[in-house]
Amino acid sequence: MTLQEYTSSIHNFEECMKCTVCTAYCPVVQVNPLYPGPKQAGPDGERLRLKDPYFFNKALKYCLNCKRCEVACPSGVHVADLIQAARIRYDHSAPKLRDRLLASTDFMGSLARPFAPIVNAVTGLGVTKKVLDATMKIDSHRTFPKYSASSFERWLKRRRKEQAAFPEQVAYFHGCYVNYNYPQLGKDLVKVLNALGVGVQLLEKEKCCGIAMIVNGMSKEATKHAVHNVAVLGKAVEKGLKVVTTSSTCTLTMREEYPALLGVDNSAVKDSLLLATRYIFERLEAGAQLKFRPDFHLKVAYHTPCHMEKLGWGVFSEKLLKMIPGVEFTLLDSACCGISGTYGFKKENYEASQAIGAALFEQIRAVNPDVVACDCETCKWQIEMSTGYSVKNPISILAEALA
Amino acid sequence: MKLNTVIIGGGLAGLTAGIRLQKAGKSTAIISAGQNALHFFSGRFESVSESSADFIDFFAEAGVRLHYHEGVSLMPMGKLVPSSLSLEDVSIFPEGGLPRKALIVNFTGYHDFFSSFLAEGLEKEGCACRIRFIRIDEMERLRESPSEMRSVHIARIMDKAWEKVVQEVRVLLKDEDTVILPQVFGLKDSHTPSLIRERIPAKVVFAGTLPPSVPGIRTQLQLRRRYELLGGTFLMGDEAVSAETDGARVSSISTKNLQGHPLEAEHFILATGGFFSKGLSSNPQKVWEPLFGLDVEALADRNEWYDPDFLKEQPYMGFGVKTDASLRALKAGEIIDNLYVAGSILGATHPELGSGAGLALRSAFAVADLIAKL
Amino acid sequence: MKANEFDVIIIGGGITGAGTQRDCAKRGLRTLLIERSDIATGATGRNHGLLHSGARYAVNDAESAEECIRENMILRKIAAHCVEETEGLFITLPEDDLEYQKTFVERCKAAGINAEVIDPADARRLEPSVNPELIGAVKVPDGSVDPFRLCAANMLDAKLHGGQVLLYTEVTGFIKDGDTIKGVRTYNHQTHESGEYYAPVTVNACGIWGQRIAEMAGVKIGMFPAKGALLIFAHRVNNVVINRCRKPANADILVPGDTVCVIGTTSTRIPFEECDNVRVTPDEVDLLISEGAKLAPALNSTRILRAYAGVRPLVSADNDPSGRNISRGIVCLDHEERDGLKGFITITGGKLMTYRLMAEMATDAVCRKLGVDKKCETAVTPLPGSEKPSYKEVADQIWESPTTVQKASAGRMGTRAARIKDNDRYDQALICECEEVSVGEINSAIERMDVSTLTDLRRRTRVGMGTCQGELCACRAAGLLAKAHGCIQREREDLNDFLTERWKGNFPIGWGDTLRESEYTQWVYKHVLGV
Repeated sequence: MTLQEYTSSIHNFEECMKCTVCTAYCPVVQVNPLYPGPKQAGPDGERLRLKDPYFFNKALKYCLNCKRCEVACPSGVHVADLIQAARIRYDHSAPKLRDRLLASTDFMGSLARPFAPIVNAVTGLGVTKKVLDATMKIDSHRTFPKYSASSFERWLKRRRKEQAAFPEQVAYFHGCYVNYNYPQLGKDLVKVLNALGVGVQLLEKEKCCGIAMIVNGMSKEATKHAVHNVAVLGKAVEKGLKVVTTSSTCTLTMREEYPALLGVDNSAVKDSLLLATRYIFERLEAGAQLKFRPDFHLKVAYHTPCHMEKLGWGVFSEKLLKMIPGVEFTLLDSACCGISGTYGFKKENYEASQAIGAALFEQIRAVNPDVVACDCETCKWQIEMSTGYSVKNPISILAEALA
Repeated sequence: MKLNTVIIGGGLAGLTAGIRLQKAGKSTAIISAGQNALHFFSGRFESVSESSADFIDFFAEAGVRLHYHEGVSLMPMGKLVPSSLSLEDVSIFPEGGLPRKALIVNFTGYHDFFSSFLAEGLEKEGCACRIRFIRIDEMERLRESPSEMRSVHIARIMDKAWEKVVQEVRVLLKDEDTVILPQVFGLKDSHTPSLIRERIPAKVVFAGTLPPSVPGIRTQLQLRRRYELLGGTFLMGDEAVSAETDGARVSSISTKNLQGHPLEAEHFILATGGFFSKGLSSNPQKVWEPLFGLDVEALADRNEWYDPDFLKEQPYMGFGVKTDASLRALKAGEIIDNLYVAGSILGATHPELGSGAGLALRSAFAVADLIAKL
Repeated sequence: MKANEFDVIIIGGGITGAGTQRDCAKRGLRTLLIERSDIATGATGRNHGLLHSGARYAVNDAESAEECIRENMILRKIAAHCVEETEGLFITLPEDDLEYQKTFVERCKAAGINAEVIDPADARRLEPSVNPELIGAVKVPDGSVDPFRLCAANMLDAKLHGGQVLLYTEVTGFIKDGDTIKGVRTYNHQTHESGEYYAPVTVNACGIWGQRIAEMAGVKIGMFPAKGALLIFAHRVNNVVINRCRKPANADILVPGDTVCVIGTTSTRIPFEECDNVRVTPDEVDLLISEGAKLAPALNSTRILRAYAGVRPLVSADNDPSGRNISRGIVCLDHEERDGLKGFITITGGKLMTYRLMAEMATDAVCRKLGVDKKCETAVTPLPGSEKPSYKEVADQIWESPTTVQKASAGRMGTRAARIKDNDRYDQALICECEEVSVGEINSAIERMDVSTLTDLRRRTRVGMGTCQGELCACRAAGLLAKAHGCIQREREDLNDFLTERWKGNFPIGWGDTLRESEYTQWVYKHVLGV
């Protein structure tokens, strides 16, 4: 036996050097004094919780799960994982009806989509918002994402043959947002990939990645989704397909959270699951070419979503955007916009949510771009609502710029 | 991704080398496993004593203001130590130029600023001190969290509330020639400390706090911004996990986040820091460099790694990676042609380069300038 | 009576001295306790913190085993806030003789210890960290006990009953009148003042150092200094005490206590002169890790926080070189009967577990000498802080919805936590983040618990006992102490001493994350703060 050749601990919590850098970058600490901060909630709290679950602190629910503490940590401690895992392990209070509804994005989507015009009109009404605010504690300032009348899946299924004709193929995990709220992003992706000679397939019935369930105390349901998704991803990977995505959060959830928080082994599919921006960048780097419009002009400010920051793949979106002739590019300071999925929808978090994003909104106004680019749908809602600037996925910008 | 130089480590050494190379027209990427030791920076480049116009100009381009004076500066626990090159936040007193009467102002209930120790240190030098505590309404909300009365959080509030501090200080100030305040001003730029200096009718000295260091974080932010403006790719939160080598050369680095997408380059700079930053690893049997397995200058017997007196020089802190005269790394006694080493991972192997921030600057300049010429 | 006259003087501020003072004070005696350093600085604070069920002694030492189980049950009641009722396992590994288990269980039962053989699979469920290869397991009522808290609570109760305590005061000689000890001469290491104190009876409760005190009084006791080294792991690997079911040997007990767990011990005979300065050697460290990993394999890959060693106060009986076969039995000597020296009693031997019984025996002897006829009540009266059985109830009673730091305070102080001044946010601010110690709790310790140094403060509050080993909290706490004592220069030295004391326990295990943390601490104190 080699003595203490290496040491290990749950989510690396013993590697914490108590340097406090994590709290310096925590967006919640800056606005919500009830939150104990990532260091206390994470590695410090873990020692106490190991002694007795009694020391679990309910205020851990204020964690956004933005992962900025992990990105900042110089010691490789999975601070946010520690916090979310503690919530899963020790917080047995049942999630509220509101949280269940907010978390069940695909259920809500499939319910609402057929009645999209009505639902959109109703959720957009001031009176509905007030009712939701009062009964469900969903903040009335929020604009609900609109539901699309026709799902992306239906759109792509109708083009199955045409897509199959392409010499190369990828599968697309579109996520709830593209399917129910904004099929245009999926269509844009198809356009860009087709231009590269790549056809797009659907997965064999994907489910919501489950992140909203994880953070809303529904880890059992999330685990079911994870097991299902890993299986359908696996089928695509077995066929030799890469799976692309257009949401940084879905990607991070399936690549990182499945094993770390839900204990679902994704090793067979992880390396084949890529954000479309990375996939496209790598194709171009390998020699593929895209033809751009000569008259394209756009002032773009890129916002790195928190989960993109954690994935470390913002560089691909940035480089793709910079590659487009006529794009005037600004990289916004890396900061959380405050929405963090369902977090900002909750009435109790509204103020904190807006305060967190304030610096980012200010910078966007100062840059005054034609469009803000970002790979996350919830950031899009937040930034559009808070600044009035239009927000687009880099894939959509790429699609528009194609000749 | 193909680059001219890949720099492993985003601290002072890595950023300095990156900026210099970008300026020389080289394409670079910095892999930074989280934040770095600049967050605990005292603001003093301890070992830099020569005239340092180069360094001052270099930092000025990034908006980081340094100054060079021979004299002493006031440490957070009240000690006066010889200083020369430092951030402008750190006041340097020339010989015979210590304050004679000082007003030390702290925030009530802020335990990371050591006012009574500062006073005692100065009083030993013949400076009469008066300590006063102030409360600023905006800070009260911070107190609701027992753990978050921290320099950084106060600094965020002070970006907006600094004028109140000035008002309070002006009321308190009697005949003191100097006002001493904690370094909790100017997280994003050094505008606030300058304004405070202008508005208080006495010399203003900012004394350090328990880390994180506000001027240190600001410096890191400014350097990173400068690096990115020059076109550098800063991979924050990523970690180099393995290296591909080709004979006596490194060909690419794989990172945790970019698995399947190695970073290829002509040159590599290793600036991963000491033990804290995991540039060096240790177990009961040995000390090693974890990424490349480079040769390390270290004592074999762990009994000799330490001095039982905490305050004495600790041998392990001098351990470092072995290099040739041009700071190229050695592995099994052989030079790796395109791998250069900078910063505190060098330990005390090059005493002529100094230690701490001084070592980081000097070695980063040296390796960047070598690469730029190739 | 004059201010320097007492009924009884007790020398030694360990658990035996503190317990004796409590007992004497509760029986109405005017007591003075004299300690040359701080409380619990000897063997009291340098052991596993195991609340023995007695099972460990059942085979070799039935008397100790019986004492242990009786005291175990008593301490659960009277020292609730110092005790954790964790349960314990005695495991048999493939290389051990399973036959021993039979003898072991029989002897346990004979001693009144509820030893229950359980299936190895059940043992793994009860304590998932246990070596999965175990072939046998016995469940016993072991627990853990915080010796610092226990010692402080005894002393506090003595003071509540009129007792006086002099810390940092060394006995330099006895005041004798012929064959009678009349009192002691002292020297205070902090004030540098000498003193004289008188009492008809003096109790020597100095543990291993009792030999020197006895010599000073003119009588001889042969002590047997046996060094025991231990390692503290940075978090709890186990929540149930794990012992090896075999003849007692090195590193065969792993005890969870507070936020950490402790493996020990070794046993090495050392010369008496080394008692004041014991060091843990690399060989001992290696032995503790490799043997410990047999109890819980995770220990070999768990961060280690500290190494430390204590000296067992065994009374020499034979020439056994290991010192293990010597009885842990209690030795209470009336030197009048033994040596013809009047007014002097030595209480020694024994162990942390049996301190109360030792105190009772010593106090009975004192009362006999003084002609006092009062019954001992320490077995039934809870210590201050332990009036309620669970700190969780305590916390809920004091605060409507306790915060983490308030929960931690209740865990450390029991019902005494009600006295923490924490009605405003300033007092709730954390000083020690690893162990969750607030300004209020620290100030309350400084005010009421004889704190003169940071190390004293650590013994009473756990400041600096956590992962960072004082990296963040030492300088903050120094600020509070400086304010309380009004002397910065003294506090500077104190801070240096504290950092050196922490380092003393860190460097023997200085590698991996502990070395990283040490490098950071060096950086913070020398380069950033400038001590």
